[in-house]
Amino acid sequence: MQALERDLCRLLGAQRVVYEPDALLAWECDGFTVHRSRPRAVVLPDSTAEVQAIVRLLHAADVPFVPRGAGTCLSGGPTAAATTVVIDLSRMRRVLRIAVEDLFAVVQPGVVNLDLTAAVRHLGLHYAPDPSSQSVCTIGGNLAENSGGPHCFKYGMTQDHVLSALVVLPDGELARLGCEAGSRPPHALDLPALFCGSEGTFAIATEITVRLCRDQESVRTLLFAFASMSAACRTVSDVVAAGLVPAALEILDQATIRAVEASVYRAGYPPEAAAVLLVELDGPDFVTAEEAAEVRACGERHAALRIEEAVEPQERARLWKGRKGAFGAMGRLATDLYVLDGVVPRTRLEEALERIAAIGRRHGVVPNNVFHAGDGNLHPNISFDGRCPDQTARTIAAGHEILQLCVDLGGSITGEHGVGSEKLDHIGMMFSPADLDVMARVRAVFDPDGRCNPGKALPSRAGCAEVAKWPQMVARVLGVEDGA
Amino acid sequence: MTASHEPHSAHELEDLLRARRGRIRLCGSGSRQDRLPPPGDAAVVRLARLDAIHRLEPGDLTCSVGAGLRRDVLDEALHRVGLELPCAGGGTIGGLFAHDAVGASTAGGAQPRSLLLGLEGMLANGTRFRAGAQVVKSVAGFDVHKLLVGSNGRLFVAVQMHLRLRPRPRAEAWFRRDGLEAAAACAQFAALRALAVPPAELHLQRTGSQCVVAGRFAGRASFVAERLRRLALPEAEPWRTLHLEPDGSGEVLAGIVLPSRVPELLAALPALPFLLRGGGRFELATASPAASDAALGALAALGAHACVARGEPARRGRGTTLDPGAERLLAGLKRALDPDDTFV
Repeated sequence: MQALERDLCRLLGAQRVVYEPDALLAWECDGFTVHRSRPRAVVLPDSTAEVQAIVRLLHAADVPFVPRGAGTCLSGGPTAAATTVVIDLSRMRRVLRIAVEDLFAVVQPGVVNLDLTAAVRHLGLHYAPDPSSQSVCTIGGNLAENSGGPHCFKYGMTQDHVLSALVVLPDGELARLGCEAGSRPPHALDLPALFCGSEGTFAIATEITVRLCRDQESVRTLLFAFASMSAACRTVSDVVAAGLVPAALEILDQATIRAVEASVYRAGYPPEAAAVLLVELDGPDFVTAEEAAEVRACGERHAALRIEEAVEPQERARLWKGRKGAFGAMGRLATDLYVLDGVVPRTRLEEALERIAAIGRRHGVVPNNVFHAGDGNLHPNISFDGRCPDQTARTIAAGHEILQLCVDLGGSITGEHGVGSEKLDHIGMMFSPADLDVMARVRAVFDPDGRCNPGKALPSRAGCAEVAKWPQMVARVLGVEDGA
Repeated sequence: MTASHEPHSAHELEDLLRARRGRIRLCGSGSRQDRLPPPGDAAVVRLARLDAIHRLEPGDLTCSVGAGLRRDVLDEALHRVGLELPCAGGGTIGGLFAHDAVGASTAGGAQPRSLLLGLEGMLANGTRFRAGAQVVKSVAGFDVHKLLVGSNGRLFVAVQMHLRLRPRPRAEAWFRRDGLEAAAACAQFAALRALAVPPAELHLQRTGSQCVVAGRFAGRASFVAERLRRLALPEAEPWRTLHLEPDGSGEVLAGIVLPSRVPELLAALPALPFLLRGGGRFELATASPAASDAALGALAALGAHACVARGEPARRGRGTTLDPGAERLLAGLKRALDPDDTFV
């Protein structure tokens, strides 16, 4: 045991410091399993004061650190280098305050997303952002990644729901960003908006104030099965063109439908369908009924093979079960699953999907698609065997091309998963060295020494040639030379 | 005499910034300059000619516009395709976002922060940069563009802005209740705010001892009609008052408060003209700088934040104490993005 580990044990007790190599296995990666690395140690604080004490210790020792929630991130964000200490916030899981009239809650970062809604359900409230991993992912992780989810189309991303955060800066000092009444006092900048999505590279949030939403009187979920993906995409276009704003618009392709139906997430989706579209409407009952009729008409215009409408919670949950379990179902198809995350303008979805299939064919991989159609946020998923270097390299190369396609179509390399370590080599597709330099300047305001989650979100020194060097990621994950 | 420039393009602006030595005051249409300290010897750079609609994609619910585009011109273009920018405020689009003087019009409503998807900007030395994206979702890179909101043009120039749009509601109706006592007005305001689908806009104004609660329901025609009928709200003309005017040597404070503390606020600062929006932003008119200072103290005690928005030039921006850690970060951001303190 080294001096730092001894000091950490003195601070927290030996049970809350992990440094044995085998025990560190649980923290060697997140949902982006291609990138694995065991940290130097893991610490499990219970309070803001403990986080502060840990960070001061690491600051004095000049040791980098990575804040981590449940580890469900899909871009390698919380994966730590061997020299780095992980500050695991999963024990900080208390809901500190619920303000019903003012519609907010103050939570610790380790509170699980769905647990927050469970804690306020009896008050007729819920927390709107709902990433697929919401039953395990934490609010702190959602804040770091600016997580989305199916209901973003109407309700916005995590950023739209964060009012304030108490953060421990990398030198151990505290800062309160925003206030309970709103994210921006009139004589300040919107620091919570800037902080949200900083991927743990600015500071560690230890108390987060989030906006709560009132439950709607009625929620209707409609399922449409189509004979073609094109019909599903066009139905979405018609719904948007009609001026409707559903709570969610989600599409699954045939391969995903079949994977779901063959799994424990079976939802009764027709396996012969080329695409399933889920549309959720919420509001007063008579309004959702009127809107459902309009949405049905859109689907009928595009020859829907089947239309189901659910109002009762149990039936709605069944329709959603397949969508929510889609990634889990696909995870059964091979030893590894590469979950991509790109965005295109919604009107270019059809074109994007056709071109993604062509990219897959070129690289000998099969991208399956489940996506937030309303937002144009694609999740092509590639099942592969991570033990096979050739398959891994082809998977990553296909992913790279798919992200380039998203950018070429006017979109983004990530809609909700973040850059993490996965997309360091892709960020240059969207941003010039000058753009990245401005971002690096902003980051340095919070973390001048680059000690907080180093090597994530931005290339190590924005503006350097690193951003243009593909396929560095292939080399990095396979441990071989550039271009291998 | 203050020099004034009005570049016609991003290239002209870049040349201007690269050549310019000394301080600069950014200005859109000039409609909000009375809310900032006077520019002094700074050159005024007017962005009103950067007024193109670069891209309008109704199917994607997004557009990209020059920061100098006037709000009314954008509205006209959006209404033609059945869309709207769902936030209040006029002047230029750049000015609207840079000042963010109105915030959300209702509980959980859209506000400039959530509508700004990305931008193309310029630092004081003429360096161009981009942040965010043109699409409705992107978490690539840090959200430097969100720093435009409320920056009052003191960090960087927004040249082109990418905005999120919404379908225009099919119907809308305004309502208004006059002559309410403060307690009754607060109760009405809170009840409307607490609806699962609250009004798209909600305002409470106190003048003397009387209050008005006004708002707008928007959506399907059946929904709008049902709301007015069920809540027995009298239909009214549209509400136009977004700001209070200072009286004589008086000032206007702009602030933000938890809605649950509004009754206490009205009781603690009796008789001061007060305007509250559904999102929690308010304005308060005081009779003098001394009264403003006293009001700022009372507001801080209620957990509210406020600052002098209009009044004596030297006092504009003076406000409640911010968290020291946040103050340090705000100063650091100014140094990082505008190290020579060019933008005033």
